[in-house]
Amino acid sequence: MFLPDNYEFLCPVKTNSGNRALEHLPFELEALSARKPLIVTDKTVTGQGVIRKMINAFKDSGVTIGIFDSMPDVPDMQLVTELSNIYRNGEHDAIVALGCGSIVDVAKVVNIAASYSVKILRDLAGDNLIAHPLSPFVVVPTLAGTGYETSKFAFIENLTFSSYFLMPDLVVVDARMVRSESVETTVATAMVALAHAAEAYTGPAKNPLADSYAYAAIQYVKDNLMNVLKKPRDTDGRLALANAASMAGCAFSNMQPGLLHILGEAINAMFHIASGICMGILLPYGLEYTIQKNGYHTHDVLLPLSGFDEYAGTADNLKAEKAVNIMYEMQQDLYTVTGGKIPRTLEEAKIPKYMVNDIAEKVFKNGAKEFGIDDYRMVLEHAWEGKPMSWD
Amino acid sequence: MYVPGYYEFCSRVKMIVGHDALERIPGALSDLHAKKPLIVTDKGVCQAGLIDIVTDAIKNSITIGAIADDVPQDSDLQIVNRLATLYRENGCDSLIAVGGGSVMDTAKAINIVVSENAEDLMKFSGAGALTKALKPLVAIPTTSGTGSEVTLVAVVKDHERELKMAFVSYFLLPDAAILDSRMTLTLPPFITASTGMDAMSHAVEAYTCLAKNPLSDSCALAAINLISENLLTVMRNPGDKDGRLAMATGATLAGMAFSNSMVGMVHTLGHAAGSVCGAPHGSCMAILLSFGLEYNMHKNGHLTAELLLPLGGSQEYIKTPKHLRAERVVDYVRKMNHDLHDASGGRHARFFKEIVDRDGKQMIPRVQLADIARAALSDGSIFYNPEELDYDDFLMVLEHAWEGIPLDRSRIKKG
Repeated sequence: MFLPDNYEFLCPVKTNSGNRALEHLPFELEALSARKPLIVTDKTVTGQGVIRKMINAFKDSGVTIGIFDSMPDVPDMQLVTELSNIYRNGEHDAIVALGCGSIVDVAKVVNIAASYSVKILRDLAGDNLIAHPLSPFVVVPTLAGTGYETSKFAFIENLTFSSYFLMPDLVVVDARMVRSESVETTVATAMVALAHAAEAYTGPAKNPLADSYAYAAIQYVKDNLMNVLKKPRDTDGRLALANAASMAGCAFSNMQPGLLHILGEAINAMFHIASGICMGILLPYGLEYTIQKNGYHTHDVLLPLSGFDEYAGTADNLKAEKAVNIMYEMQQDLYTVTGGKIPRTLEEAKIPKYMVNDIAEKVFKNGAKEFGIDDYRMVLEHAWEGKPMSWD
Repeated sequence: MYVPGYYEFCSRVKMIVGHDALERIPGALSDLHAKKPLIVTDKGVCQAGLIDIVTDAIKNSITIGAIADDVPQDSDLQIVNRLATLYRENGCDSLIAVGGGSVMDTAKAINIVVSENAEDLMKFSGAGALTKALKPLVAIPTTSGTGSEVTLVAVVKDHERELKMAFVSYFLLPDAAILDSRMTLTLPPFITASTGMDAMSHAVEAYTCLAKNPLSDSCALAAINLISENLLTVMRNPGDKDGRLAMATGATLAGMAFSNSMVGMVHTLGHAAGSVCGAPHGSCMAILLSFGLEYNMHKNGHLTAELLLPLGGSQEYIKTPKHLRAERVVDYVRKMNHDLHDASGGRHARFFKEIVDRDGKQMIPRVQLADIARAALSDGSIFYNPEELDYDDFLMVLEHAWEGIPLDRSRIKKG
């Protein structure tokens, strides 16, 4: 088993997952010394009726909740200021983000503003500039995540905040909250989780502690994504996918971003295709690239993908290749099961071939120098065409 | 992978791992806004030179408030109170625990006293009595191990009133745990063996008992892998730094697993044997583990079977037919004990009748098995065991564990 020397690992996130997980929230908030949480959400989430479930969960708890659900499509600092005022004026002492994506980003940034002040917020953007714990923070995710919900990152306007203090104290994965989403959304959420987890599991900073989160995430996505697409009513399956998203965010926060992440986010920014869909396309090629670079980290990613029997029955020198093939098969299955909605290649995603070079250059210029521009280009070209890299 | 109807998982200890991890303690303390730690340890750790290694690594960057090295074998209330006073007298603001389970428990208990200004520690026993964060605590395990650096439990004995107090709270979790290979390089083979099997039993029970969840499973599998790959290696080559770090990591992962998914009959019986006869915890775990797997096999054999992969490797797994894998796992565990017995010059016990104290005296006389069975009845950990056990069942298992004879599975109840 691979064991690095000299690393650190932190996952401050507690997980409560399953049936009626929301009903534990008042008790958990009390354990966090919180009496008056502010719930931050949007009209889509409240429209689904879950807010009623949240309110009912607090009914006899003696806890007062405040609810803000006027989240705009593109939040900005003005919203953060407005929400910080609501937080202070309402004398709230905890923040609960009900939802995903920018709801969670806003909640995190408001949490910073509530502890420091809105005025100096911009000065705290960057790595590890937050010096102490913030107010108790809970995330109750849906299945429409971006992959950052439980992570140490928060994004607003053009700012990125990065700190372990931004990771939620608690993530509540409640079966009623992780309702069925559109095919594209479900796949995107699952594939961000799979990509981030696989990169943690096979990357240069791989360690057994991060692996324990990544392993579970990979297996949960592999075992459940197809089932959920075929049978949206599969509650266990949806719980598993939401868990995977949460676990992957934890593993990812302890790693440097990998190739799949870097390229996936770049394509998302340039072409407005969901990051998860992009990462899903790139997965097998990124994995092949990793094998060529540092083969021995990749053979055991087969274990969570294939299960014990197939893993044990595959010769060591064929394990990595089999893992990649499983990724290709997944892509094909996704395409077939969704009637072609999920692209298998960058070409199918309608990205012009001549843009491949632009993407590589942009990524390299933006400072992501972990990989060479030729590496980016090679992976992109293969992913465009759908052509596996040769096995030499 | 199984999707539980409901589960909880929390392991929020910051882990700092490496061959030079100790040097990062000042940074960790500073992140926690702490400047003047009380170091809590025991004489054994001191005599092994480990405290010198720790203080050398940190003394240029931090003021050590005091060093308390008189924690006894079993954590004791009087010591806890005395060390809490020492903490206050020296103006300390944090704790560093260097040692095994009792040192960790003592440090956690001291933390309750100094953080809550507790006159009577008893008031904080049980679950849910602590309501806010305690003072910063850094845990440095010197055995691999109890996993206490990542558990939310502390047990303290009140020897005067002959009571055992258990404290259960997430607030007891250390803020940081340091896994440094230097802390176990000189661990004697006999202790390496028993603490290694203690960790193994945590991971195996976490994986095979009723409260399992995906994260505890992940941790458990990795732990079993690391321990089975490295335990005998470090027995035969104690100075193997990588092997020691692997064992430390395995023990921590095992701690994360069982802390979040409970244990079962192996611990029930092990606790009972420990409390009735004073037998070392790790030795009891090592012996009872295979019997727990055997006893529960009709209920959780399918889970036990999976463990053949991390225990035996791919070849062994594939060549063993599915319906025989669980039994092979039991064989592997027994074989491990035999190998450890050999590698420790006969000191690691393979069965209860072999457990002896420092003077060679038998620690578990056969006549006491009945007392142990009785004590086991009142241990709560049995709740998570896949199969029920009453007094007769406990006694049957104990008798077989005493002699070292496999259970007759036809005699096991099917509840």
